[in-house]
Amino acid sequence: MKAKKLAALALGLGTACMTVAGLGMAASAEEGKKEVVIWDYFETDAQKQMMQTLIDGFNESQDEFTASHTYVPFADYEKQLTLGIASGQLPDLVILDGCGMASFIQLGLFGDISDADINWDEYIAGPLESTMMDGKHYGIPFATNCTALYYNKDLFDAAGIDYPNEETTWDDFREMAKALTKDGVFGFGNAATNTDEGTFQCLQWLYTAGGSYTDIESGVDAYTLMQEMIEEGSWTKECVNWTQSDVNNNFMAGNIAMQQNGPWQIPGIEANAPDLNYGVTVLPKRNADAGQATSILGGENMGVVNKEDMSGAKAFLQYYDQTDVMVEAMKLYGSYPPKTEAAKDSYWTDDPIQKAFLTQIETSIPRGPSALWPSYSSAIQTGFQEVMTSAKTPEQAAADTQAAVDAIG
Amino acid sequence: MKRKRKLAGGAKMGFLFALPAAVYMLVFIGYPMIQNLILSFKNVDVFSFAQPQNQKFIGFQNYIELFTSSNSILTKSIINTLIFTVGSIFFQFIIGFGLALLFNKKFPGCSFFRGMTMISWLLPVTVAGLLFKFMFASSGGIINQFLMALNLIDAPMEWLLKPSTAMVAIVIANIWIGIPFNMMLLITGLTTIPADIYESCSLDGANKVQTLFKITIPMIKPAIMSVLTLGFVYTFKVFDLVWVMTKGGPINSTELVSTYAYRLSFEEFQFSKGAAAANVLFLILLVVGIFYIKLINEEEESM
Repeated sequence: MKAKKLAALALGLGTACMTVAGLGMAASAEEGKKEVVIWDYFETDAQKQMMQTLIDGFNESQDEFTASHTYVPFADYEKQLTLGIASGQLPDLVILDGCGMASFIQLGLFGDISDADINWDEYIAGPLESTMMDGKHYGIPFATNCTALYYNKDLFDAAGIDYPNEETTWDDFREMAKALTKDGVFGFGNAATNTDEGTFQCLQWLYTAGGSYTDIESGVDAYTLMQEMIEEGSWTKECVNWTQSDVNNNFMAGNIAMQQNGPWQIPGIEANAPDLNYGVTVLPKRNADAGQATSILGGENMGVVNKEDMSGAKAFLQYYDQTDVMVEAMKLYGSYPPKTEAAKDSYWTDDPIQKAFLTQIETSIPRGPSALWPSYSSAIQTGFQEVMTSAKTPEQAAADTQAAVDAIG
Repeated sequence: MKRKRKLAGGAKMGFLFALPAAVYMLVFIGYPMIQNLILSFKNVDVFSFAQPQNQKFIGFQNYIELFTSSNSILTKSIINTLIFTVGSIFFQFIIGFGLALLFNKKFPGCSFFRGMTMISWLLPVTVAGLLFKFMFASSGGIINQFLMALNLIDAPMEWLLKPSTAMVAIVIANIWIGIPFNMMLLITGLTTIPADIYESCSLDGANKVQTLFKITIPMIKPAIMSVLTLGFVYTFKVFDLVWVMTKGGPINSTELVSTYAYRLSFEEFQFSKGAAAANVLFLILLVVGIFYIKLINEEEESM
């Protein structure tokens, strides 16, 4: 009897499930809207909320398309895209790290959308350039940011030294870091792990020293600074295995007095270390006569996957192209809108920390853009690791990295 | 006459039984392998991936470049993989064999502790990798704390930050993971030795060491050879542990052939070179595999 009842229950449940599934299908078919699927790698609650707000806003703004998004873990992201190109299982829109876009344009993932109704000339040049190839547009910048210098005010006060500011030079910075290094605290730390995440943070030192991603030897001063500070113990050697979240965790825990990091860490600091008394300023400049330090642009682009019908993806880009939509999304996201005017919203300009990042963005440059960027990145980061672990002298590492970089191009 | 026909029918049935396995092998192993081989002789990279008309056969050029180009670290990664494998297997086997002998004795709580040692084998490798990454951290890592408390070292060791010690650290992590595998296979071997053999040799006056080297080891030689060859194959293609702990760094000192092939294909989009590196890995393991099959056949013939 009991068994019979159970069987009946199971059968009933099964039928119910099928009915619900059937209804679901009927519902989406009934509306007759075209689907726009977006891939992203957003993990935090704030980021997920931002995506949902954007999608809801887009779906309500018109009745031709329904957008939805799929989360793909960041560690697998580029692999999934590559496999997707081979298998043809791809979304309509992809949100991806700006520096990877050139490779994927070359790989044929994205379609030419130069005819879309977008206000191209309102965008900041660096991020926009990373969505283009040979004068054609393949998407638009989604968010833009860069790294700057965070400092722990309490540790500076305890050591009795002034906070770093826009006039701080490498020499000043080195003295500060030295004075702050005591009682298990390191003066400074950044992310120098063996991936592009490390390159993203280390490369700015090379540019500030006068080098570039193809001209390593002109930036050899950066190598010297890193090696000497690590040998002094004021720049933690641990950073050769640190990702950007490792750096931020150590900054929040008070293990490092200064960190190089981006604005996306601010929500995390507010949630996990609300009492942390910190400030942010631009990265130290080469010397008193030099201009503001160069930083490296980070942030995401939205690329339109190459399909016969790209109308849905274009409609979504046009929706996002509206300055107020962009500004609202970026407030939730913790990055800056990639339009010059949009970033002048008082939400950012009235906050000294946010303002420091906006000042730093003015002298920030993109990585590459080059379809071969991953190979450059790998060669360049090996050079930084050789210097930081004292495996080679700065001069030797510069010569070897230069040779490795020359062999790529 | 009748007997012959029966045999032929049996052979037919045999083929029929082998068919599903053969089809499976062809589709899921044969096809990707051949595709990979073809890919490794082409020039598919970031520029030609989307343009099939530009994909050309370039013979052994990928292999030559992998072995000779100054930007290639294939040779280094093969040496690293060999060090990693031999270092891991040597200690895994010795410790695993010791534990097998221990747990082969019956003592109170024996099966409980034997079960406990399996934990390191059951734990997902990525989790184990993360745990070891924390344990080997220079500041605050438990291994440094422990060594300093015992006054074995004065200052924290930079385990994962120095090329030489990073390799030691990943080998230690892999030894911990692999011990139960060695132990279980060897225990299975030990249980096949009849108790009366031990009885008779103790009557003959053999001591423990003599029993170990003259009776136990020769008797479980097939199990030992299986453990060593299978262990070699498993260790040689380890990927996740190293990817989690060091990503091949610092300065490529822990780059294995598997991580290098992945890096080439999925990070640098050099698909053909990545395929070639994977084939080099395959070739090395093929040699080991043939050796293993030959070994098993010899054992079966001698039985």
